[in-house]
Amino acid sequence: MRNETKVSDLKKAYFILNRIKQAHESGIAKLVWATPEYGDAVACICSDGSVSLWEELPDDSQSLIWKLCHLFEGAATARAVNLQFGLSSTALKMVVAYSDGHVKVYELLDPLELKKWQLQAEFQNVIDSVSRFGNPTCLSASIAWNPHRGDEQQFILGFNSDLPQFNSAKIWEFEEDHQRWVPVAELALPEDKGERVHAVAWAPNIGRPYEIIAVATCKGIAIWHVEQQADQDGRLSTKKVVLLSGHDGEIWQVEWDMSGMTLASTGADGMVRLWQCNLNGIWQEQAALDCCHAQD
Amino acid sequence: MPGMATDAGDQTMVPLSSEVVRDEPAVHPLRLGLRPPISGISISWSRGNLLRVASFRDHDAPDGGDGDVGGKVVEVRLGGRAIDGCGGGVDEARRRRIAYGSVPAFALLQGQRSSFAAVTRMSPYPSLRAEWWENVLDYSKHISSLLGDPKPLPNTVIDDPKTILNKVEEPTYLKAAWELLEIFYVDKQSLAWLPERLVDWLADYDCLLARESATTVHSNLVTLQKKLVSLQVVEDDPEYWEGVSQALAIGWLEIVVKLLRLHGSYQLDQLGDRETENGLVETVAVLVSTMPRMRPDLPPGKLGQCYKTKPDFVKAWEKWRDQINKLDCSAFWFQCGHRQTREGLKSLLHIMLGKVNNLISATGHWMELCISHFLYVRPFTMGLDGTYNLAQKCMQTKPISQAHMLTSLLIGILGENTEVVLAECSKAFGPWMVVHAMELLTAENTQAEALLHEERYNLGGISIVELNRLVYAQVLSSEALTWQIAPVYLASCPKQGFGLLDILLYMQPVQHQRVLLKSLEICRLYELESTSSTIMKIAGMYHWKHGRKGSGIFWLQQARDEIRLSRIAQQLFDFIGKSISDDSFKQWEGMIELLGSEVGTAGGLEFLHKYRDYKKFLQHIRDGIAVDVARQAVESLIQLMRSPSTPPRFWLPLLHDSLKLLDWRDRPLLNVPETNLLLSKLQELSMAKLRPDFYQIETSSQDLSSIRLALARNLGRAILEEGSLNVPNINPHGIHVREM
Repeated sequence: MRNETKVSDLKKAYFILNRIKQAHESGIAKLVWATPEYGDAVACICSDGSVSLWEELPDDSQSLIWKLCHLFEGAATARAVNLQFGLSSTALKMVVAYSDGHVKVYELLDPLELKKWQLQAEFQNVIDSVSRFGNPTCLSASIAWNPHRGDEQQFILGFNSDLPQFNSAKIWEFEEDHQRWVPVAELALPEDKGERVHAVAWAPNIGRPYEIIAVATCKGIAIWHVEQQADQDGRLSTKKVVLLSGHDGEIWQVEWDMSGMTLASTGADGMVRLWQCNLNGIWQEQAALDCCHAQD
Repeated sequence: MPGMATDAGDQTMVPLSSEVVRDEPAVHPLRLGLRPPISGISISWSRGNLLRVASFRDHDAPDGGDGDVGGKVVEVRLGGRAIDGCGGGVDEARRRRIAYGSVPAFALLQGQRSSFAAVTRMSPYPSLRAEWWENVLDYSKHISSLLGDPKPLPNTVIDDPKTILNKVEEPTYLKAAWELLEIFYVDKQSLAWLPERLVDWLADYDCLLARESATTVHSNLVTLQKKLVSLQVVEDDPEYWEGVSQALAIGWLEIVVKLLRLHGSYQLDQLGDRETENGLVETVAVLVSTMPRMRPDLPPGKLGQCYKTKPDFVKAWEKWRDQINKLDCSAFWFQCGHRQTREGLKSLLHIMLGKVNNLISATGHWMELCISHFLYVRPFTMGLDGTYNLAQKCMQTKPISQAHMLTSLLIGILGENTEVVLAECSKAFGPWMVVHAMELLTAENTQAEALLHEERYNLGGISIVELNRLVYAQVLSSEALTWQIAPVYLASCPKQGFGLLDILLYMQPVQHQRVLLKSLEICRLYELESTSSTIMKIAGMYHWKHGRKGSGIFWLQQARDEIRLSRIAQQLFDFIGKSISDDSFKQWEGMIELLGSEVGTAGGLEFLHKYRDYKKFLQHIRDGIAVDVARQAVESLIQLMRSPSTPPRFWLPLLHDSLKLLDWRDRPLLNVPETNLLLSKLQELSMAKLRPDFYQIETSSQDLSSIRLALARNLGRAILEEGSLNVPNINPHGIHVREM
């Protein structure tokens, strides 16, 4: 959420891009802002699948420049396809999803320096951790942290891959007692579990008794209500509220506004669609912006 | 490569409808100025309702030549403005004035509401309505005054007899709507004379109805006014008589009388010939000006006779109607030779007698017809039901092509449909109106109150009132100039207001000192400690990372961020550990000062303070030879070496710095136990080298041996000195200790 406000300084964003492009030979696939409690920094995924971390720091003459502060070693076989920073109050965490279906969670060791990272966990986006799965080929991954700034650490992750078990969006939670990440909910109906996930967004919760999460697949955008308290088995109960269809073609991105009341989505049809829930609890498309509108 | 992003100044407004049911969403073209094909679109929300849409051209697409950019960003404001429907000529500044001006009244009312709740120990919406509605009325009057007064424009001092309409500033739809709500929902006193309130309302806002109806009384009178200047014999012109009838039909009595007095029979040279005619005109004028009105008072300059109670009024009304009837049947009409006058006056009498056909022909808009019914057909209060039926009938008689905002609103009010009223307010006037008008809607009406305050699961457990306040606050937060008033509205949302406020404050840019201070002030006001600490943490990190270490530490201290502060302290140790030279002393001295000694868990700070003191003593010694200062330095050194908070890796640098003290020229400054302590620390260090967590300090073996040597020499001298104290025979100055 905060990340977006920073781009308000578009010129700054432009300079960052240029600076990073100069340093990398390959193109930039994705840029993600770090949380502001850790300075002005972006993580960059390059087309070759490497992840680098850049930070705005003063040089010797006290003028600000963008410096490469860390380079994450990639595996030879897998490239990073997506990453997101968490808002945990204790330490900065970063989830990176790789093209082989693996997920790595890194933790920042020193709140002042973005150089020192520790690999906290590595797992696959599957519920059944006992069975062995082959490595899928993932085209993309969608990650969203629970935007609440607190002690709980949760994120949702879905893949767009050729192995159905990896695809469905799952909520992962950090279990303090055992110091491990466990899946606590799967946001897909039994018949949709293999659906490729194209985008996810976790709505800011300003006081609702449940969480709202949007998951986009080729069928449309599903809005899920997720209970906050886990049941005895440690699972969160979920309910698919509605499937919003309207986009013609693949959905690229879904984003919630600051109150979590409006969802914006965009996709291959060149439209930005805006969705809201009315007073009767029915989700509707409120307006659409046509970005491919022929120019005058 | 994507081209330079355009400035965020490209703003497009997209209204978001709040209607409950709609079939097809509206599609708004977004003018990005990019040549197709477009390869990607990216969206990101900013504060409030601002959505940034970035689009990128296809890399492989043929270049369209110069000026073709690779990508573009536009900012789209969703849901339109906070305040709409002010009428023409209302600029942003005026809207902002209204937004800011309504804050104190709103806040006061919320305060009064909670004290009411406290006093009555009942629900926040008490049954002590007798007093409560008065508070709401004050609030309503305050808001109404913000929406503009129809102030007379500066006019000539001399009253022009031919000026029938006073020039006033054009009123706004917003104010017209607000007053309607006030009349129906709040002002309890006015309920008894509701028709008269509506007559007054129409007098102020009839000009606004022109949008719905081809002709209104106001527009006709404006035309007549222009014509009057050139007319010699007014009574011959049918438009004159039309104008008089129309003004009478909707109760603009003073205009009727003024127009009648323009009648040619009043002219001195005509009096002789047209005595009866003049008498008839004047009689009608007198009848008009003495019309009984059921209302407490009339503003100065307005005509009619006021009656406060119904029996008095009915009596006067019947007497008045008798007089009109008598005049209607009188024989004088035969003596009046001027046909137009005769017919015109007769038509006035018929209007006053409430003949429906006359009323229909004398009015343009259905609301005018409705008002004329109130005045001449059913002058007694008939209740909302009756009024609603009357309005429906009038609309059938005078259909309008498309219902405009005031019509829709009035129908919603008369139909007692709170949801429709709110939807109309929202559609026509924006979220400001909805939030502020809800106070009026619930002032008197328990049903509306229950509807609007009911907590709904669908809405995430909040009521419609709270939802609308959140929506309004979000619109306010979209703008840099209004976000600061959003907290007032959020604070009145018991369930989700503070959640949104927290996010809003978190999103404010900390780089701007003024914004930062404002955010913190808001946090203090609403006791949002965790939010304030997060903001200060962000500010601290921003400054720290951007080379302003002092500001950084200041804000982190304000945030009580012990983790980061102890890391900073740690960094200082590392820094000092690496280069303990005197040049660097000044660099970190200020920082230690700033860090203070309060950061309890940053334990090493105690050491840093002592170390700073010790360094100061050493400097003094360099400046001049002062034994007492040197002794103080030694004490400081011993304290440092004894203190458990001194990290062992500093022992060696400390000892190295102290060489001069250890080898003091005149006499040994350290006594035997002190020297032994230092020696044991040195010993401990060499033992520690074997441990895995040993922190290697680059010290040359030469340094090490010179420390050892100085310590040994000092020990020797100290033993001798202490020995000489015990054995006074030995001359302490005669002994020279050899190097060991």
